[in-house]
Amino acid sequence: MSLLEVSGLTVGVEHSPHALLRDVDFTVEAGQIMGLVGESGSGKTMSALAIMDLLPAGIERRAGTVRLDGRDLVAQDRETVDRNANDMTMIFQHPRSALNPTMRVGRQIGRALEINQDMGRAAARSRATEMLNHVGIPGADRVARAYPHQLSGGMCQRVMIAMALACRPRVLIADEPTTALDVTIQAQIFDLINDLVEETGCGVLFITHDLGAIAEMCDRVTVLYGGQVMETGDVRQVFTDSRHPYTQFLFDAVVREADPSVEEKDVNFALQGCRFGHRCPYAFDACAEFPLLREVDTGHLTSCFLHQKENALGSA
Amino acid sequence: MGRYLGKRLLISVATIVGIVVIVFFIVRVLPGDAAIARAGPYANEEKVAEIRDKYGFDDPMPVQFVDYFTGVFTGDFGVSIRTDGDVLEELLIRLPASLELAFYSVLMATLVGIPLGILAAARRGTWIDGGARVFAVFGSSMALFWLGLLLIYFFFFRLRWFPGPIDRLPIGTEPPPMITGFYTFDAALRGDFGLVFEAFRYLALPVITLGFVLAAPILKMVRASMIEALDSEHVRTARAIGVPPRSILFRDGFRNALLPVITAIGIVFGYMLGGNIIVEFLFAWPGVGRYAYSAIQVNDLEALQGFVIMVGILYVILNVVIDVSYAWIDPRIRLGKKVSS
Amino acid sequence: MSTTDPARHGDASGDRGRAARSGRSFEAPEIGGETVRPPLWRRKPLLIVGFMILTIFILLAVFGPLFVTDPRVIDTTNTYRPPSSDFWFGTDKFGRDVFARAVHAARLDISIGIVVAIAAMVVGSTIGVISGYFGGWVDEGLMRITDVVLAFPGFVLALVLVAAIGNSIPNVVVAVTVAYIPYFIRLTRAQVLAERELEYVDGAKLAGNGRWRIAFRHVLPNSMGSSVVQAALVAGWAILTVAGLAFLGVGIRPPTSEWGVMVAEGAPDIMTGQWWTALFAGGMIVLAAMAFQFIGDDLGTEEV
Repeated sequence: MSLLEVSGLTVGVEHSPHALLRDVDFTVEAGQIMGLVGESGSGKTMSALAIMDLLPAGIERRAGTVRLDGRDLVAQDRETVDRNANDMTMIFQHPRSALNPTMRVGRQIGRALEINQDMGRAAARSRATEMLNHVGIPGADRVARAYPHQLSGGMCQRVMIAMALACRPRVLIADEPTTALDVTIQAQIFDLINDLVEETGCGVLFITHDLGAIAEMCDRVTVLYGGQVMETGDVRQVFTDSRHPYTQFLFDAVVREADPSVEEKDVNFALQGCRFGHRCPYAFDACAEFPLLREVDTGHLTSCFLHQKENALGSA
Repeated sequence: MGRYLGKRLLISVATIVGIVVIVFFIVRVLPGDAAIARAGPYANEEKVAEIRDKYGFDDPMPVQFVDYFTGVFTGDFGVSIRTDGDVLEELLIRLPASLELAFYSVLMATLVGIPLGILAAARRGTWIDGGARVFAVFGSSMALFWLGLLLIYFFFFRLRWFPGPIDRLPIGTEPPPMITGFYTFDAALRGDFGLVFEAFRYLALPVITLGFVLAAPILKMVRASMIEALDSEHVRTARAIGVPPRSILFRDGFRNALLPVITAIGIVFGYMLGGNIIVEFLFAWPGVGRYAYSAIQVNDLEALQGFVIMVGILYVILNVVIDVSYAWIDPRIRLGKKVSS
Repeated sequence: MSTTDPARHGDASGDRGRAARSGRSFEAPEIGGETVRPPLWRRKPLLIVGFMILTIFILLAVFGPLFVTDPRVIDTTNTYRPPSSDFWFGTDKFGRDVFARAVHAARLDISIGIVVAIAAMVVGSTIGVISGYFGGWVDEGLMRITDVVLAFPGFVLALVLVAAIGNSIPNVVVAVTVAYIPYFIRLTRAQVLAERELEYVDGAKLAGNGRWRIAFRHVLPNSMGSSVVQAALVAGWAILTVAGLAFLGVGIRPPTSEWGVMVAEGAPDIMTGQWWTALFAGGMIVLAAMAFQFIGDDLGTEEV
């Protein structure tokens, strides 16, 4: 049983037939980092917000289950996700605006400690300073008394990580934690996340558009395109033996400029069928149906009819 | 912080100078013979000439301006034609009555506007939100004098719950000895709670009239800035780390929505410094607004311009106070940038 | 978190609950994928209500006077008649028909409201564009002046202006317009400051447009949105201001049929129980102002 198991997650805009996420499945294992990769607009952040029950107004979760250790977190009324910060917490892309501008950062960490570790106010205060130290902030005493606007972006992200640590989560979602930061800070933040996994054995959902970061950080990876899972599996499997045409093009685009022959298809793939259908040079009749994820190798799944063709033909 | 305040004060002084210039321009330079206006409709040529001479209207405009300007900054607002009294003195005697009315009206508006605004933002899109919005629109399209008349008709004429529009206290009642000038405070300080009660009874209708109208802009601003705060990324973080809803609403939401709310309350209070002419007239409230009303009736421009300049100056001072409170509320203003490490 | 969490974005119990009740029609796959938006009266009900009230007032202002008696006619045999089928709003102390007066006043008050709003918008936006687009000392000077003007409540400023230039309808219109111009200057200037940094302005420059042409043909139209909303609100406030001045005996004076004048004339009657002479005129002021507020409020609200 996986630590976090997301299945059939479907999210859309109110009053619109379009889905932002369609039938998204993936799992996160304890002590591992699952990468979630895709272009901008592919639904990476939306997936995270849907799992965390932090979707913005006007966007709704229409279907899907979220299981933590087999416990279904989607509440009985199906409108909310029943999780607390001990189960899951999240760090964000823009660390400075993710911190409360009118609260000293030490207090913000302290608050997370009070809520999630049942600490008293005084204990939380000194522990917060220790944690700032722990995430590699020099002069933690002074920084604890600072407001976010007085700190650099990198420091703010460390503060965010300290806050996340204070929650003692079983799953940490890191949404592009280094995208808004200097490249030189990136490695340090990555190290912090790796340390966190080692120390606490939590699972991490690591969201990025950077394939290099995936290769460096992750054990497994899920590739999203247009709100649909294209492929999921071990990083090695997906990187060296990608099965989905989209994934193949994605990797090609990294190593060389490639322009697949794109045809206009007669199906509105935004509403039905495979989300990649309109750009896929291999698309055929079956692609007008929604492709479910199928296992192509142990733990390696892809949502492409090309790999189900033989099966389909066989049974016909 | 010090520099911020210094710059702020400099701009304020410039604005006060501007206020005096503009009021002078409106009253003296615009068409209309001030002396004839002052002398009133029944004055003869001699009387007009006498007034011209007395107020220096025969002097060249720049001389008049310099006289007037230096007068204002040495506390000489001129002499009222109507009462022959010193305008500044007469205004200052009446100011506490106006400020007491303003204080309780803004207090009521705040006590109504803030909770309703928070509730509307927290329950966005529900009937509570819709109701709050209609209430706000209703308040901002209410005519003060009409609402006041309705209240007088129902609560005085019909029900006799509250006293009629006479004054601050029943006729013949000795006001409490002046300490703050607020009858409610002064009576309470003397321990005369019967008098406090009476003072509140006389305050009630004008305060309700003004409070209802003033609640609207406060409500709107609270709702808008609360929604902005609640939609912010740091509130998302607070929710991610499991902060309880109530704490999110107040500590992460309202605390960060305070600046625009303070501004709104300040603007409303500033509006009250002169906007109560109607209510003071209607309820026979002996404040600066009614003084201005009486001045208008007999074309006492000297008194009127004194009133307007006072309103402008009070407003500017109020704005400085608001800006200082900003610095107190928002650490981004209070503390400069960067803790280096 | 529970569904009763009040700090939720968009509020679970409200937004999502409504979606659930509406049957989730969007789940049916629909080729073409048009977004199914609720009808206008569901999204902006206040706008519709405001326009309906305003339409009634405009019809009343345009055609009403043709159907009522002369509001100036004094009839001492018919003083203080309560509202009846003959005199819908009753009669006042001179026996004048309050309804006829109120209808004639509608023509005056609604026109003043609209004229003030448009005049203040045109003048204010023009100054705002010049101030914002050209900047420099012109901007600095204009901003200091608006600072000073905004130090007075609009009502007080209009009051002093009328007191200085004299009581008459045109003078009131000018005074109230002047009092509202600074709001439009500020608003337009702020919009222009944001707008002029956008790339289409650079594009227009490269295409060889002159400064004035860019300011007024390109930047101004894109900066007018909030000014139009503001104009709707100002039309309502102008009616309140004019009536408030008239109530104090400033600007429009008796025996003119004007709502504020009528309330002022009727106010003493309240103390003797003749509520109708002031109530109806005041009610029309509030209703007319409210129509404009509804329109402005809903126009200015982003769709959720």
